[in-house]
Amino acid sequence: MDAIQQAHEQLCQKGNLSKALADVQQLLDHLQSTRDAVAENPDITALHMAKLKHPLKQAFDTIEDDLKEVNKGLNQYQKALKDKFKNSALPTAGVGESGVLARETGLVNRAIGMHLLREGKFDVASTFVREVNEAKQQQATASTASEEMDGVVVDGAAASQQWLQDFAGEHTTTGEGDGGDGNEDDESPMDSTGLGRGQLQKRFADMYHTLDALRNQHDLTPAIEWARQHSAELESRGSNLEFELSRLKFVELYTTTTSDKPNPSDQDDPDQNDEQPAFSGPLRALAYARAVFPALPPRHTRETSALLASLAFCPALATSPYTHLFHNQDAWEAASAAYTREFCSLLGLAERSPLYTAVTAGGIALPTLQKVERILTASRGQWSSVNELPVETPLPPGYMFHSIFVCPVSKEQATDDNPPMMLPCGHVLARESLEMHSKGKSRVKCPYCPQECQARDARRVYI
Amino acid sequence: MAEVPFTKLDPDAHLLLDQPLLRLPHELLRKNLKSAQRQIEISHKAITTAFQTPAAQKRPADALAALDATLAKAQSLKRKLEALNAEERSLHRQQKARIEHLEALHGIPSLADVQYENWAHTRLDRLLVDYLLRQGYVESARQLAVEKGIEDLVDVAVFEECGRIERSLRRGEVREALAWCGENKQALKKIGSQLELELRLQQFIELVRGGEMGKLMEAVAHARKYLVGGLDAEFGLRAGGLLAQPVETVIEPYRTMYSRTRYPHLAHLFLQTHHDLFALPAQPLLHTALAAGLSALKTPTCHSAHAVAVANLSGTPVCPICSTELNDLARNVPYAHQTKSYMEDDPVVLPNGRVFGRERLRVLNEKVGTGRGMVRDPTEVGGVVWEEGVVRKVFIS
Repeated sequence: MDAIQQAHEQLCQKGNLSKALADVQQLLDHLQSTRDAVAENPDITALHMAKLKHPLKQAFDTIEDDLKEVNKGLNQYQKALKDKFKNSALPTAGVGESGVLARETGLVNRAIGMHLLREGKFDVASTFVREVNEAKQQQATASTASEEMDGVVVDGAAASQQWLQDFAGEHTTTGEGDGGDGNEDDESPMDSTGLGRGQLQKRFADMYHTLDALRNQHDLTPAIEWARQHSAELESRGSNLEFELSRLKFVELYTTTTSDKPNPSDQDDPDQNDEQPAFSGPLRALAYARAVFPALPPRHTRETSALLASLAFCPALATSPYTHLFHNQDAWEAASAAYTREFCSLLGLAERSPLYTAVTAGGIALPTLQKVERILTASRGQWSSVNELPVETPLPPGYMFHSIFVCPVSKEQATDDNPPMMLPCGHVLARESLEMHSKGKSRVKCPYCPQECQARDARRVYI
Repeated sequence: MAEVPFTKLDPDAHLLLDQPLLRLPHELLRKNLKSAQRQIEISHKAITTAFQTPAAQKRPADALAALDATLAKAQSLKRKLEALNAEERSLHRQQKARIEHLEALHGIPSLADVQYENWAHTRLDRLLVDYLLRQGYVESARQLAVEKGIEDLVDVAVFEECGRIERSLRRGEVREALAWCGENKQALKKIGSQLELELRLQQFIELVRGGEMGKLMEAVAHARKYLVGGLDAEFGLRAGGLLAQPVETVIEPYRTMYSRTRYPHLAHLFLQTHHDLFALPAQPLLHTALAAGLSALKTPTCHSAHAVAVANLSGTPVCPICSTELNDLARNVPYAHQTKSYMEDDPVVLPNGRVFGRERLRVLNEKVGTGRGMVRDPTEVGGVVWEEGVVRKVFIS
């Protein structure tokens, strides 16, 4: 990298056209002065003209030399670049599977659309949807004009149509020839959650306003509003969001003294409450608790009673056993994170942008894949399994989202066709391994412990 | 957990995708220099010839006229060089920004670092803009670049021009593409491109298509001028053969030559040539990165019929492949290769066959408010409640 930087600096300093430009200016001056001289003194025109000849040639020689200098700089830079990127070959997408994504333009576009919304770039997202629509219409007219377009374009058109239908929430599943079919089954998650494009956009916009209120203005109202509206769904997920928001509200009310004497430091510092024992805060907190807490599910009873019990310690909260309930700096951040998580998962979406996660993971995995590709091309080999990558592509922790079961006997990953089976002793094998192992025997010995059992006693487990 | 943390960051390997980022401004600088050279050559020639006329040497009036003309030429050369110099400066600025962006990666200690996350975010934005540009969504691309402040890291102008020419070809116009070929003549020659010949052949086909005598003569003249002299005699031969065929011919290759599909084909060829010339990868880099990432993240569970629905409670972050955005997209890519099981600590199994880490099961049951001494599968809404005793330890190696 240093070499590149050096070469670049050289290029900026020396390898530019400003010197040539200065020389052209000199030439211009020279020409101008000759012209003036000729105009002044027409008698010796021939002399002037003859005198001009040599400097003219010289001037152009200098200018060309200037350009050579630039060229030299560029060459140096190129050399530095080459040194830096020694194996210049770019890996093809997905090793051997090149073009999987090129055929799925519509789905890629959909992912990008959702990513933009998620990032809060609503303007860009709407421009994007408009442009995709326009392109689609253009392609439609183009393909009617000439029946045989090249395959890629037609596929692209079909796929993007599907995507826009998805976004528009129209439920028309037509048998799209060879494009992205099979990927759009009837219960596409988009449809099942009933998300139209406009709706999706609006929901993300709502989410951002709520988050902004929560995180930056410490305003709980929109979040609580949302949690109450989705109370039933949240409850079925066992989410504590509603309770956590209510608790935060309770604490907020508790620790703010009368509204006509707002003192921002009070929020964080209940000690000051002791000195000016204004009971209006705790009282309002009590009123709030009576209104809201009974509606919360019973599993929060312990915590709600703790909160209410803290009222008894009102002036000396800091020394009470409940002080930890009130001293929680991260509470707002935690509530924001919880809100984002619940919001996204109710829509069937991951909390962080999947596009970001996937592309970053791709960046991490690519060097390994490229190496494999290079080796395979060199040995003219092909990798045997189409479903599985040929090498391990280790990712940092945090990029693992599922438990993984690799059969200890066959070293294959379990799939739906070859699921993990648990023997009565608690050891787990893949079904194919178990079948191989038990072939022609009435009883099987567990490969890992002395216990014997019958193959039919093995149970399918879900990992 | 069993997995060894893999957080080592090897910047050199990591920049695999980023070569075009530095290559493009470089190629543009080269092109810039070539233009400058050509301008200077032209002016040089013009000026020298102006002085070589014998009249200019003698008569004062002629000499003055010649000098004025020369001055004008030198002035215009200066103007052109100034424009090129400005272009060069902006390219240098871009180059600097890009080098700094890549350099930043070298200062980041590990993949787990927050700085890496920021860097990767910028990279994603870059790749997205690149993708949008390639798809022809120029406005979205521009807007995104501006909002993210990465204008110097993306090449809106290059793709805009490229897209314009491509579209003109798809409409059936070859003029703009030919002009582009003219601009890059030397470079094209160097890579042995046949784009210009193909375009000239297309012009010839259009002349022949009508079948009028006058046009046919014109076509022959056109072929003599552009098609015969080239390196590849094939073009001249094909053109000659075409003269004998009417538009409705069924004989190959003439039927294909008359077909309108030659235009999309030419557009494709143009794109290829353009990307070759500017060292741009043929595939959008987003595809490359995304395909690799999808595979690296994908597990057999992601499209399993038994997978826990995303909206249900599982106590783990939602997997990006299971998330709506990418789920369908990832269906046809291979899943990651694993050589070891990756399990939570102390796995246990419920009577319905679901395996959990003991701690996660406990926390989740607390969350859904299962009674003391009881347990249920938290991923199942309203599932059966069992006595705690049914939970069995499972051994997974």
